[in-house]
Amino acid sequence: MRRGVKIVAVAASAVMALSAAGCGGKKATTGGGGGGDGKKTLKVGLAYDVGGRGDKSFNDAAYAGLQKVQQELKLDVKDLEAKEGESDNDKIQRLELLAKSGYNPVVAVGFVYATALGKVAPKYPNTKFAIVDDNTIQQPNVTDLLFAEQEGSYLVGAAAAKKSQTGNIGFVGGVQTPLIKKFEAGYVAGAKKINPKIKIQIKYISQPPDFSGFKDPAKGKTIAQGMYDQGADVVYVAAGLSGSGSLEAAASAKKWFIGVDSDQWQTASAAEKPYVLTSMLKRVDTAVFNFVKSVGDGTVQKGDLRFSLKNDGIDYATSNPSALGDMTTTLNDLKQQIISGKITPPEK
Amino acid sequence: MIEQEIRTPAPRTGDRERRRTRMLAVGGGIFIALILLRLITGESDITSSGTMGATLALAVPIGMAALGGMWSERSGVVNIGLEGMMTFGTWGAAFASYFSGNPWLGLLGGIVAGAVGGLLHAVATVTFGVDHIVSGVALNILAPGVTRYLSDLLFTDEKGGGATQSPPLPSFPTWSVPGVGKPLGSLEKHHWILISDLAGLVRGVLTNLSPITLLGILLVPVSYYLLWHTAFGLRLRSCGENPVAAESLGVKVYRMKYSAVVISGALAGIGGVFLAMVASSNYQEGQVNGRGYIGLAAMIFGNWRPGMVAGGAGLFGYTDALQLRGGAGAVHAMLLLIGIGLLALAVWRGYRRRVVAAAVSAVVGAGVLVWFFLTDALPREIVTYSPHITTLLVLAFAAQRLRMPAADGMRYRRGGGH
Repeated sequence: MRRGVKIVAVAASAVMALSAAGCGGKKATTGGGGGGDGKKTLKVGLAYDVGGRGDKSFNDAAYAGLQKVQQELKLDVKDLEAKEGESDNDKIQRLELLAKSGYNPVVAVGFVYATALGKVAPKYPNTKFAIVDDNTIQQPNVTDLLFAEQEGSYLVGAAAAKKSQTGNIGFVGGVQTPLIKKFEAGYVAGAKKINPKIKIQIKYISQPPDFSGFKDPAKGKTIAQGMYDQGADVVYVAAGLSGSGSLEAAASAKKWFIGVDSDQWQTASAAEKPYVLTSMLKRVDTAVFNFVKSVGDGTVQKGDLRFSLKNDGIDYATSNPSALGDMTTTLNDLKQQIISGKITPPEK
Repeated sequence: MIEQEIRTPAPRTGDRERRRTRMLAVGGGIFIALILLRLITGESDITSSGTMGATLALAVPIGMAALGGMWSERSGVVNIGLEGMMTFGTWGAAFASYFSGNPWLGLLGGIVAGAVGGLLHAVATVTFGVDHIVSGVALNILAPGVTRYLSDLLFTDEKGGGATQSPPLPSFPTWSVPGVGKPLGSLEKHHWILISDLAGLVRGVLTNLSPITLLGILLVPVSYYLLWHTAFGLRLRSCGENPVAAESLGVKVYRMKYSAVVISGALAGIGGVFLAMVASSNYQEGQVNGRGYIGLAAMIFGNWRPGMVAGGAGLFGYTDALQLRGGAGAVHAMLLLIGIGLLALAVWRGYRRRVVAAAVSAVVGAGVLVWFFLTDALPREIVTYSPHITTLLVLAFAAQRLRMPAADGMRYRRGGGH
């Protein structure tokens, strides 16, 4: 019942935001100013990408950052989920709803928010925004949280090639976008570094503008099964929620799985854990936490904030040491070479 | 043809016999063509057990929607709301199985939720005489909203749940026919002509079966029996052909339509259960992802008859399995089959002296063959859509010979015939 009241409240404010959006900038300054009054009243808003909370991957990494904010900085937080197949208008409304109700800073998780944020940010000049995985918006109050995914993918690619006995590995991408192609490029380069003759099966679940590939475990499962059936013994899945289906396929085929964004060994079921070789860690949690903290300190910077192996924004998971064995030596060596600039993993 | 079907409830035995042989011949022909294709192109995944298994898994939800649509439209109610009823089914399955911890109650929950969706459609279309398309579309809009609201209410506080998804659900046991998997698996590895292909087919269909898959397969002959060999089925179909005449003979038309649409919803609900609990291990928003509409296409392709409807779902499942598993190579091999098929069609049409149609088929077929020989693989962007393209092509070729129930989609009022 209590929750019911809350939902009505949120719905009502959504309607208000909608009607106010037409009134232009006058009210907007009040909303933004409310958030900027003092550091102690900082309220953090966060809008999820497709797949949402519970994807055990990209969005859950953002959620982990938000939880850390809540616990360590003792701030008010509010997170909103995206709808399946929604338009840019829905995204604009979601961001406006957060900015208007005084949430400052506001974090948009995922490049899908780029267009929407480009429209909302200028209307709320006193609200600090951050967007993950995009740097196309040039606004004084927008910070871009960018990751060098190709570096971590290079490392897990090397791990896959080391682990593979058949000389045949796989890559499953969620949606064929430039972002996910970065994962593919790094993975392929890393695997070829270890074994130049390795066979790599590559498959994307869906094509833009269809973003369902990030949340279709059934297809993630079928594709991974196909790869295992055709001789692959390690598969790297960069597909958000769809990866959970691929992990099921790995466990039933008793072959290796490499997770993405979050450490997926942590969230795997007991039966699946032994088959998670490693995960490419994209520390969206660190990025979100650092951004919120910098807003609190008043040290926030606009423009690009880059996370890579160098500043621990990217890494590979070592939570399953018995699977990795002694290859960590090689991987750490490669990691040092990337950090020192000796190796530059390709972005496409 | 049309008159005959109305006049004689069951087709004469000669007709049925002929239809059965024709279906077997078509099925066998397709299988042999696939074997040849595997030999020529060396894409062993074309007839592997893995592909057959994936075909079943992808075909079951579509087949359930299609069968549901067939029940409803046989009684004269167009059911474009299948998508929404499936969505209700996914959520009902998640709710019942998660809170009870029992997958079988999940099956029941999905069926009930789907049937409730069907009941809504029946109330709107049968009792209130709302346009069938309007009511169906409304249901498709209503379903994601209702399930999201309920998920927010019930799943957000559970571990692993959220507004867009349920926590992990208990799973069904999987069954295999004992003593089949191993020997057939080794047969399949040899890649012997015909024997290995058959082994792949049988192994894919008989091992690692979920009870829902089995239920889905069984419901095809059951639907056939109920609709074409019982008094209930005859009355139900008569409502779809000529409700006024049925009424004059004492058939309770409203009751018949209600039962058909509710059964239709329940079948779509089973499709939803499969998606939430067998194809994946939790409910997710948008999980149905257009499968209800594809089911409708399979129903039309199947000429509103269960065997052909299942065939349509199987065709779509197979092309989807091939593009998901084999990817660019296997789908590329399909070009050869399509090209040769089109050329054969051109020859047939030429023989029938349909010059323009023959020329079109010949040109397109030759183009497809040139494409096959000049490239090694298809672009990924096209491969993803190969099931949809196949459906379009097949519907385009099959559409001329279809006949829908005569009073399908018409508004019927009791006593309106006077």
